[in-house]
Amino acid sequence: MASAGAVELTAVTKRFGEHTAVDRLDLAIEPGEFIALLGPSGCGKTTTLRMIAGFEQPDEGDIRISGESVAGVPPHKRHVNTVFQNYALFPHMNVAENVAYGLQQQRTPRAEIRQRVAEALDMVQMRSLADRRPAQMSGGQQQRVALARALVNRPSVLLLDEPLGALDRQLREEMQIELKLLQARLGTTFVFVTHDQHEALSLGDRIAIMRAGRLEQLDTADAVYARPASAFVAGFVGQQNFLTGQARGDGTFDAGQIRLRSSRNGEGSLLGGQVRAAIRPEYVTVEKVSDAYPSGSAPAGSALPENSAVGRVASVAHLGETMQYIVEVEGQDSILSRIPTPQAPAVNVNDAVVASWDADSVHLFQAELSAPQHPASRT
Amino acid sequence: MRAPKFLLAVPAWAWLTAFFILPVATVVYFSFGYKPGLFGTHATDVLSLDRYREALSPTFFTTFVNTLRIGILGTLICLLIGIPMAYWMAVKVSPRWRTLLLALVIVPFWTNFLVRTIGWQVILAPEGWLSGLLQSIGLRDAPLAILYTRPAVLLGVVYNYLPLMILPLFVAFDRVGPALREASKDLGADRLRTFLRVTLPMARPGMIAGILLVFIPLMGDYITAVVLGGARGNMVGQLVASQFQAAQNWALGSAMAVLLIVVIAGAVLAGGLLAWLVSWPVRHRTRLGLADLENIAVQERA
Repeated sequence: MASAGAVELTAVTKRFGEHTAVDRLDLAIEPGEFIALLGPSGCGKTTTLRMIAGFEQPDEGDIRISGESVAGVPPHKRHVNTVFQNYALFPHMNVAENVAYGLQQQRTPRAEIRQRVAEALDMVQMRSLADRRPAQMSGGQQQRVALARALVNRPSVLLLDEPLGALDRQLREEMQIELKLLQARLGTTFVFVTHDQHEALSLGDRIAIMRAGRLEQLDTADAVYARPASAFVAGFVGQQNFLTGQARGDGTFDAGQIRLRSSRNGEGSLLGGQVRAAIRPEYVTVEKVSDAYPSGSAPAGSALPENSAVGRVASVAHLGETMQYIVEVEGQDSILSRIPTPQAPAVNVNDAVVASWDADSVHLFQAELSAPQHPASRT
Repeated sequence: MRAPKFLLAVPAWAWLTAFFILPVATVVYFSFGYKPGLFGTHATDVLSLDRYREALSPTFFTTFVNTLRIGILGTLICLLIGIPMAYWMAVKVSPRWRTLLLALVIVPFWTNFLVRTIGWQVILAPEGWLSGLLQSIGLRDAPLAILYTRPAVLLGVVYNYLPLMILPLFVAFDRVGPALREASKDLGADRLRTFLRVTLPMARPGMIAGILLVFIPLMGDYITAVVLGGARGNMVGQLVASQFQAAQNWALGSAMAVLLIVVIAGAVLAGGLLAWLVSWPVRHRTRLGLADLENIAVQERA
């Protein structure tokens, strides 16, 4: 089978009563790919995973695994295994028995079961704890056992449902690296559901960003970050400054006192009326007014250069690798700036500053009637 | 200074000592005595095992076997009805209806045990409505002849003790939760295997609790036997009661009571041993541990 490990969703819809959890979703996952399904809670990513696993049946559309439609195929007959959010280890079995469970269901010979259980436990460095019960282990250890229990069956596709959600940050980051290495070594298709953008960006070969049951963008981490397909993606992945602007007809936009221009793909000329502009904090530089304009006070209103704003520093925070400045602009949302610590200007709270950015860093989107939520844009 | 922890258990221990341990000790003590003439109930100036010899008469033995048969059969029927019912309530029914169903299971307890049992007497009577109905629709051509037989007692005890089986089983099945059943199916087990290898083993404490809650009081029950069993559905509880009340022979009644306790304890132990032996092959087949994996060398997978 050339397509072993491929997963294809075609116009898949799933409703729960009145609520449409997944809405005509198209998603094609390549064999051996590490896909991160990212989105806010309630976006349908877990429902999508459960439909691939077979716990839910789509109301419409088709799901193909390794090239074959799985409509009506129950979970226990799918060559797919899941690592569950709370591990779902069997508490009445020890580690070895938990891992052997799937192989026993396939009526694998005893000797082969031992061999493969040993291999799977070695893979996650858990063989020495083979006799432990789940209750006698830490969250991280249970996580490894759950991974071994799923992978021992050599599934075509491994589904992971927020598997690292219950771990503390340091362990989480360690497990992320292990997962990535493991997946690269095994070449199994991994479908990883998360609401954590950092996790998605660091793990996924490609990232599928979902919103309200639909796919917003499916692309590599670089592309999703640098070329967001929608204002929602721009706001959900990484942080953004969002400005609402009005087209002036000459390719520039007025956002209060700020004059915006974008040099990206001629975006500006395609859009009219109201737009939303997204500018990442790391592209915004901050400079004291007295340094930018040695002659004296800053120009006001339309005299200001394009893509810059004058304001007052409300906060300076040291984030480790970067310094973060919040600049309050009169009659406008405040503007967030992040500058690598070595290049950070000596600016203090209450200083009058000029915040500016390149036209290349301005992403423009046609404003929607209902503005999307941006949980990560102001923290 | 903190009060010692055992204080928490003092009320329970005091209660058990006063109303359980001392009475049982008294019964055991009386069982070694004798009935001193027509008007005395018991005397313990000469102790002997004679009452036990007397108790193990053929009549008593027959009744004992009958009791054990009703006890085991009744518990098994409760188990067979209770498991699907409890599983259905815990797994299949929507939470909205679950509370109502649980309440309905407990409803019979709102009525007195005796009244409930007499209700069955009314239903099962040869001239009762059930008998009339069966005859009028042609299912029977003679009046119902089930009252005062062992099946009637069995029906009565199953009815009376079923909630005590369903409730602990429900709690046990409910505790398993949907996540583990999904994990089992995900790993390739169909519904039956999921039930046998995950749901049922995890519900074992509830099953044991249900069996004990039904079997033990059922063995000592005599109201059901008196009301529905008559002469042919005799149970040991009836014999013990008649020795204490009608015959006024407390010594013999005590000996019978002690024998009943011993038989119940023996039956419970035997049942446990049997279950352990029967499940041994399954446990042996699925058991896996560190020792099994010790000498396995792992080659790198390609």
